[in-house]
Amino acid sequence: MSRMTPSAWLVLPLLLLMAVGFNLPLLAMLGQSFVGAAGLTLTHFREVFEASAYLKVMASTFRIALITAAVCVVLGYPLAYWLRRLSPRWQMVALALVVVPFWISILVRTYAWIVVLGNAGIVNRGLMALGLIEVPLAFLYNELGVVIGTVNVLLPFLVLPLFAAMIKIDERLLRAAETLGASPFAVFWRVFFPLSLPALAAGAVLVFILTLGFFITPAVLGGGRVPMVASMLDLFVNQMPNWELASAISAVLLVVTIALFVLYLRLTRAQETT
Amino acid sequence: MTRGVPLPVPALARVAPRLALGRHFSDMQAAMRVNRIVLALCALGVLVFLCLPVLIVVPMSFSSATSLHFPPEGFSMRWYGQIFGDPRWVRAMQTSLVLALLSSTLALVLGGFAAYGLVRGRFYGRMAIQSNFVAPMIIPSVVTAVALYFALARIGMLGSFAGLLLGHTLLGVPYVVLIMSVAIRSFDSRIEQVAFTLGASWFTMFRRVLVPNLLPSTAAAWIFAFVTSFDEVVITAFIGGTHETVPKRMFNDLVMQVNPSITAIATLLIAVSVGLMALAAMLVRRSRATAGQDAA
Repeated sequence: MSRMTPSAWLVLPLLLLMAVGFNLPLLAMLGQSFVGAAGLTLTHFREVFEASAYLKVMASTFRIALITAAVCVVLGYPLAYWLRRLSPRWQMVALALVVVPFWISILVRTYAWIVVLGNAGIVNRGLMALGLIEVPLAFLYNELGVVIGTVNVLLPFLVLPLFAAMIKIDERLLRAAETLGASPFAVFWRVFFPLSLPALAAGAVLVFILTLGFFITPAVLGGGRVPMVASMLDLFVNQMPNWELASAISAVLLVVTIALFVLYLRLTRAQETT
Repeated sequence: MTRGVPLPVPALARVAPRLALGRHFSDMQAAMRVNRIVLALCALGVLVFLCLPVLIVVPMSFSSATSLHFPPEGFSMRWYGQIFGDPRWVRAMQTSLVLALLSSTLALVLGGFAAYGLVRGRFYGRMAIQSNFVAPMIIPSVVTAVALYFALARIGMLGSFAGLLLGHTLLGVPYVVLIMSVAIRSFDSRIEQVAFTLGASWFTMFRRVLVPNLLPSTAAAWIFAFVTSFDEVVITAFIGGTHETVPKRMFNDLVMQVNPSITAIATLLIAVSVGLMALAAMLVRRSRATAGQDAA
């Protein structure tokens, strides 16, 4: 067994790289957010939380994340529920259709929506051809476009774990409810749905977290008109540099993300114990 | 094997007589069937929504028209010709390829050894270290990008290839550590001990026992890291400087204008991701199958 002990040392090279190349930059950034002209200060955080412009961006990011998570729940739950009841062969096919987009570059999936939703896009031309509208509807470069694109990109993050949790739900519980005279409606709402709720909540939290820090889709489909936290960081780093402010905003985003991720872990554990 | 909720017809058939539903039974049965059809239609709609981007982009890249109309008007390879004829796109492809190859290999070597240490080693703070390795996947990449930007700017390495390589390696590490940890945990450690008992050094055991057995998972982990790097935009946009990868060029082009040749680039990105990931899925399935045999 003595020859087994060196295995712990194999962690070291990566640990060193991460300490220098990841942890140190993050800590330096956190530190920077507390440093002002005259030593330690909370000015930058005060600026973030007091300037109405930044607050507005943060509020709109939260709102978009909330809407995205809600839409993912509404679209994802029926899909996962339906997947669960398919025959094994069709289940494979349908799962592949969920997983394949998941692998494809976010940028590519976002780009396609410009073609679909643009003024001369399929949706608008279709609606105009049907005579339902006279002028193209504005799907792009507003919040609606950002939500459509973000839901499209993040939906698999909700559907796949939810499906995995649903197939683990014990069939015998459902049959027991039926035998006791519960209507199909009651079996679903009083037995199946509560059992799937932790996974649904976990998926919704995950989508919410991922939307908070989302950069590409809002930048492309928002066209600069839907400011979110990530695009604000881009602004204060790349366009009109204000490192301290950018550090403070990143610190806030980091703390919120980690707090929500802890909640996510709790929810997934809750699901394992049920 | 029973699968799915046996809610509708058979369930009702069992319950209904006992409840003496009588005439209402057929009404309820019809209602359940309607429910089922509505559910299937909703689910199919969501599936179409998920796949729509791919269904649109790929055919458009073979369009002969200069406008972004769907359905495409005629077949041509002109957009591919334009991409491969543009030295800036070709250079971006080279950068993407080199960066993805180097960063995924680095992530694989460091992450693979680290995963072995995490699974087989017994030391204090193992969970904390593992969380640290997986953190780049959870922390928004825009935060990592900002942190790296400041750090690299301080040491004068902003826009350097080395900085870019670091950023891409960090993003690949979580996938490698997660995939390799699972693979190593499911590999019987007694086989390693037998090799030691037979007099093998650690290096011999690694080369002759571990590597051949873990090869499918290793390849899958490498592919995950490769695709992660190949599709990466955010970190590259922040710290890449003049280095342009394919997604970064595409992102910059998209923010400014929409050009049909982008559909060709997008289709190439789809082909690379889907092709490699399908390979990875196959490798993971094979390694699981062999692990299952070993257990049996």
